[in-house]
Amino acid sequence: MTLESAAWWMGIVVIAAPAVLVTAMATTTLLAITISESAIARLTQTCVVSGFLASLFEFAYMLLSGNRHIEIKLGEWVSVVDEHHMNPFHFELQFVFDRLSVPFVLLSFVLIGTIGAFAQRYLHRERGYSRFFMLYALFLLGMVVATLAGTVETLFLGWEFVGLSSALLVAFFQNRSAPVRNGQRVWSVYRIADAAFLVAAIALHHNVGAGDFSVLMGTGPWPYGQASLPSEVAIPIGLLLLIAVAGKSALLPFCEWLPRAMEGPTPSSAVFYGALSVHLGTYLLLRVSPLIQLSWVLGFVVVSLGLSTALYAARVARVQTDVKSALAFASLTQVGLITAEIGLGWNYFALAHMIGHASLRALQLLRASSLLDDQFSLENAVGGHLLHGEEPQRATPALLSGYRFAINRGSLDAWLDRLVVLPFLRVFQYCDDFECHVTSLLSHTNAPQDWSGVLPAAKSDTEAA
Amino acid sequence: MSACQTETDNLPSVGSVNDADIGKIVQQIAHMLPSQGPITVFVHHNTLHAYEHLPFSEAVIKAADDYDCHPYLREEDYRVALQSGRIAPIDLERELHEVLEENGDDLVGFLGTRHDLWMSMIEHPLHEGSEGEIRWFIEETDALYRFRREVPSSQSQESVFHIKQWLTDRAQSQSGDDCPIGSALSLLLDRFDGSQISEWAHEHATAFSLHLLWETCRYGSSLIAPATSNASCAIDTNSADDLVNDVLIRFTAAFLDQGFAHLGLPHRGRGFWQSFCDLYSNAAAPQPWLQDVARRLRDFEAEQTSPEQSIATSLRNLAVDIDSADSFLLEELLKLRGWAGMVWQMETNAEWTIHPAPPGTLVDFTAVRLVLLEAARRHIAKPAVKQALPPTPCRKLNRAFLVFQIAQVRGWSAVDLLQLTRREWGSLLAEIEAFDSRMRRRIYHQAYERHYRVEALKAIAKSSLESSRSQRTPQEPAYQVACCIDDREESFRRHLEEVAPDCETFGIAGFFGVAMYYRGASEAHFRPLCPVNIKPVHYITEEPAYSEVAASRRRSLARKAFGHTAHRVVRGSRSFVGGVLTGLLGSVATLPLVMRVLFPRLAARVSNSFGGIVADRHTQLRLESGDEESSQCRGYTVDEMTAIVGGFLDATGMTGRLSPLIIVFGHGSSSLNNPHAAAYDCGACGGGKGGPNARAFARMANDARVRARLATLGINISDETSFVGGYHNTCNDSVSYFDLDLLPPRRRSLLELAFADIEVARRRDAHERCRRFESASLAFSPEAALRHVEGRAEDLSQVRSECGHATNTICVVGRREWTRGLFLDRRAFLTSYDSTIDDSDCSILAKLLAAVIPVCAGINLEYYFSRVDNRGYGCGTKLPHNVTSMLGVMDGAGSDLRTGLPWQMVEIHEPMRILFVIETKPESMLAIMNENPTIDGLVRGEWVQLSLIDPNTGAIALFRNGKFECFEQSPADLPEAASSAAWYAGNRNHLGFAIVNSTNAIKAKRVSA
Repeated sequence: MTLESAAWWMGIVVIAAPAVLVTAMATTTLLAITISESAIARLTQTCVVSGFLASLFEFAYMLLSGNRHIEIKLGEWVSVVDEHHMNPFHFELQFVFDRLSVPFVLLSFVLIGTIGAFAQRYLHRERGYSRFFMLYALFLLGMVVATLAGTVETLFLGWEFVGLSSALLVAFFQNRSAPVRNGQRVWSVYRIADAAFLVAAIALHHNVGAGDFSVLMGTGPWPYGQASLPSEVAIPIGLLLLIAVAGKSALLPFCEWLPRAMEGPTPSSAVFYGALSVHLGTYLLLRVSPLIQLSWVLGFVVVSLGLSTALYAARVARVQTDVKSALAFASLTQVGLITAEIGLGWNYFALAHMIGHASLRALQLLRASSLLDDQFSLENAVGGHLLHGEEPQRATPALLSGYRFAINRGSLDAWLDRLVVLPFLRVFQYCDDFECHVTSLLSHTNAPQDWSGVLPAAKSDTEAA
Repeated sequence: MSACQTETDNLPSVGSVNDADIGKIVQQIAHMLPSQGPITVFVHHNTLHAYEHLPFSEAVIKAADDYDCHPYLREEDYRVALQSGRIAPIDLERELHEVLEENGDDLVGFLGTRHDLWMSMIEHPLHEGSEGEIRWFIEETDALYRFRREVPSSQSQESVFHIKQWLTDRAQSQSGDDCPIGSALSLLLDRFDGSQISEWAHEHATAFSLHLLWETCRYGSSLIAPATSNASCAIDTNSADDLVNDVLIRFTAAFLDQGFAHLGLPHRGRGFWQSFCDLYSNAAAPQPWLQDVARRLRDFEAEQTSPEQSIATSLRNLAVDIDSADSFLLEELLKLRGWAGMVWQMETNAEWTIHPAPPGTLVDFTAVRLVLLEAARRHIAKPAVKQALPPTPCRKLNRAFLVFQIAQVRGWSAVDLLQLTRREWGSLLAEIEAFDSRMRRRIYHQAYERHYRVEALKAIAKSSLESSRSQRTPQEPAYQVACCIDDREESFRRHLEEVAPDCETFGIAGFFGVAMYYRGASEAHFRPLCPVNIKPVHYITEEPAYSEVAASRRRSLARKAFGHTAHRVVRGSRSFVGGVLTGLLGSVATLPLVMRVLFPRLAARVSNSFGGIVADRHTQLRLESGDEESSQCRGYTVDEMTAIVGGFLDATGMTGRLSPLIIVFGHGSSSLNNPHAAAYDCGACGGGKGGPNARAFARMANDARVRARLATLGINISDETSFVGGYHNTCNDSVSYFDLDLLPPRRRSLLELAFADIEVARRRDAHERCRRFESASLAFSPEAALRHVEGRAEDLSQVRSECGHATNTICVVGRREWTRGLFLDRRAFLTSYDSTIDDSDCSILAKLLAAVIPVCAGINLEYYFSRVDNRGYGCGTKLPHNVTSMLGVMDGAGSDLRTGLPWQMVEIHEPMRILFVIETKPESMLAIMNENPTIDGLVRGEWVQLSLIDPNTGAIALFRNGKFECFEQSPADLPEAASSAAWYAGNRNHLGFAIVNSTNAIKAKRVSA
């Protein structure tokens, strides 16, 4: 009994620790109180370590007690009890510790904690030190909330925190234009993913009445849940969720945001895009894996999306000339494979792959700047030049077009701009012109006012086109 | 633009730039590009080398225009220096006098002399801004209600009184029409209740006079039309450039790649232009502008167009006329100056790399850029969606605001200004505009340098006086230590002298005359270890000791196996299938990740002990020419070795006073995760580590045949004298020694004595360095400080593993006696030179200076420019750096290649031109300058400051305005400290000079700097 309540309280600590950190950082920033670097570092350390220890406790408790599913309910946002309806309609703030979330939350704490220690020295005396740690805290909170979420809405909350902090970290060096532009690009892709996610959540509510994963995926602890949705509902919802996953995990056709995200300081690139953020999509996919297993169509779509992303990224990675882009595409290859594994229903394998890959990539990105040194010592060990750049002796047209495809990264963004963004912009432009026309007609002025300056977002999107 | 487009196809090249000219123009432009080569060999050089034919103050302004960079620090920075006493007001006065010469007394209207006007502009901050900012400032702050803080209250009261008086007089005389701003005045009077002037409270009157002053300034500055600004662009060139850069960066990186990508660029061998055409001529790109490019390239391929012809066509299409072709091309190439510069370096100066670029690549690069630019501009000119243009700036209000601020501090009231005629307004405004921000910063900067120079010279004068009295240098030193002239060795030497007063130290360029290609026992390639301007002819290898050959072979095989495996893992982790395996095993990576970040020292020890298994323990240098002489393994002959050792003894002035033990330290630096690592190594070794040079030198000097040969030349080295080569790591302050087994056993006791002293000295050196690291506590013991710097060197997350050459400002060429015991704060290059043993032509000095002046000036000026404009001349903060093509770093996902030094290296640097203090007479120095045009250019162009210290009298002369002037200031009354540590204790920032008197330790008194 006492152990059970201890487990409950420790669960609260896991979530509260990052929440406290965010609150503290946000309040001081809001009140324009400058706190010293060392105070920020200590605060971050305390919160991360206590969150880590608490989740370790949960892990041990689950191992020892045999309880594989701990729920923590923090009350309802909305609860509509309807006598005539089968399911009462409610939004619940609920967290779940199970076989999926505990390893992932442990991974998050270890990686984010290590990166925190790294960044503390790496960003020493940098302007924006506290801004970085503010966003870092938000990211941590987002990861923890999204990982432990027991309902779709809670997951969405964490998902949004992660999205916001990631986009702002890409644009960390806000006085140069490239980071801001790329940050905006990442943000727009995230919005598409979010929109799909939101629609999926609403559809779920519409059909089931609640967003609880347990209702959705059946009652068994992960991964033995049995989804109870009819497949004509499951397929559209699954596809919508897949769009969300593709956006978050940079699967086709959204791949190009990942290398763009390498604008921030190295530690944020490492943990956020190389290691954790990019896996959040596949994590969602794992979470709803019972849904995927419901219909072979979904499974097929997931596998083919995963494999094609992996093939694409492996191809593109081969020609990258800078270390961060190469690592970004290498990450993407594995994320694609992990997605395919989930589609095949190899859930544990995918989980292990995800965790291993995240750790490895974080280390590789952190020491990306050692590239020249590493190369030098490898050459010394081998005793000669490492000519791993294969020089094609005679370039066949096929090779040439393959290379062109790879160096242009498949022009994915350009295609998106041309096929999706531009038509949208044209419609809006038309509406705008029409409105100006009508207002000028009504107000009897001849010169319609030029409103285009009010739409800076539209402007930079066409620039990228 | 489209009009010229239609004509282009059949236009003959008459009246346009011809092909040969284009090649020449591009070559000229190439010299303006950053000349930094591949980053693994980092050579410090003057960032503005291309401008060295101009005097410094002209060059920085011209370069500032060309590169859009800052010539000096910001005014705020200098004002901070003014407040902290690093610039005294008298320094500003003096510099102003010097710049204005006799024009300082010219009257500006009746408002005072030019000197006073300029002084008032420089003494107090002048704010400038855009129209919006100024409007906001005027409307939202109390700018019109209170005088500036700098105005003394008596002066403000007086001018308010003056205004009140004037208003009263005016009301009485009823003559309102003569005032040029009559309507504004009457509006103001209405607002301020003008009928009751005599009853106005002081605040009320102040507000009125400031309002009136502002109106007057606005009126006055509207009389004269402002100089037209050239900021006018019809189309948004930035967005076209963004399109072009994106494609060009990616392609150039692929073309220059030194083996990072797994798959190289196809057709690289056909050159930049051809391979670009091959790749992009039939691209089915979704972007309309790239389709345009593809069409153009197909035409070119059909017509066999050369890149020069293509440039000519593009220039015509872009409507660039012949006269402005070179400035247009310059502007275009500077937009990606890092990449363009690297292309040029790879084309001309990188035959040692794996993939150098063929000649003419820069022309190809230009041609490609212009083809892309044309298409991009056409595309931008007809955008798919409407775009807003940025507003054009207006300077009018800014001028009024400047006058408004100056009027307050100068005490001009509105009444005074209203009396100015239109002509007088014109000359006032012209006068103010002539003393613009750049000019003010020049004065500030020169004052800043003057202040430090005067202090430094006074301190050196004092120190040299002391030295002749107190015999600080031991007559018969127990042992002698020679280090590189590097400023980082200054503290090491000073501490060693404090620890062991009976030792003597020397400074000499850290390759010790041994210019060689060197390959270590576990290294794959030869690398040059000598200054960049020397091309070595000797190839020296390190080999395992004979008794260890078999074991060494085993280790080498093990290394090879490890290397291949590591290489496969690294590659595999980025591939498809290998990635799955490494991904699954990746959890293992958490261990090194966490260890490396949280416990760097421990992690390093563990990994070193693993590395130690396969490292060779006993090695020797193959120094001499062997039987198997070929071009690849040419060693030294006895004659060559004799010349090297003799040269060393002459240059340092050691001849004839050799102690039984002489330790020679090369130096280098080790740091992790640092693409700029080579910039921290020894400059005299061409950005390499100087240990092998010291080792080779010691071997030569110990050689009996060399000594015999030297004896015939009159240089005697007694049999009791032994040389030891060593290596000082300036990052973790470790020292190591070579070939100790070869020394005679009777030397051991002395050796141990010296080692013990050096152990203490390196701890103290680490301690002194720690005062500059915020993350190191000021309360550290020397032991803790050493641990701290060791941790820094092994820390992946450390972006400031050491401070490098930051704060370097002085270079002393002379006897160590002059400066021994003077606290120089790691700011001085110290070169040993004894004028008493030099001949009458000063041939030793001439040889020394030929290397020392360009090298030190190069380091100093690179730090200068990277510090004054880190964005433009430097490479910005290290945090987003991304190693590209094994050649350099970009910012983030894709940007121009960043050259120069990162912010973290120059953060604490105080940009000043280096001050040389050379022990010689003016006539000898002038003769050396006559002989050596490089030195002459640097000195006369004022890229360096030059002063001489007379070998006999110790009098100091300063080179100013083309001649040596006597430095008349009396020697400083320097504070004395018991030890260096006592002087710098508790202080993180700049510290003044002090005499460190370790013998009479009691007199220590601290004077805050």
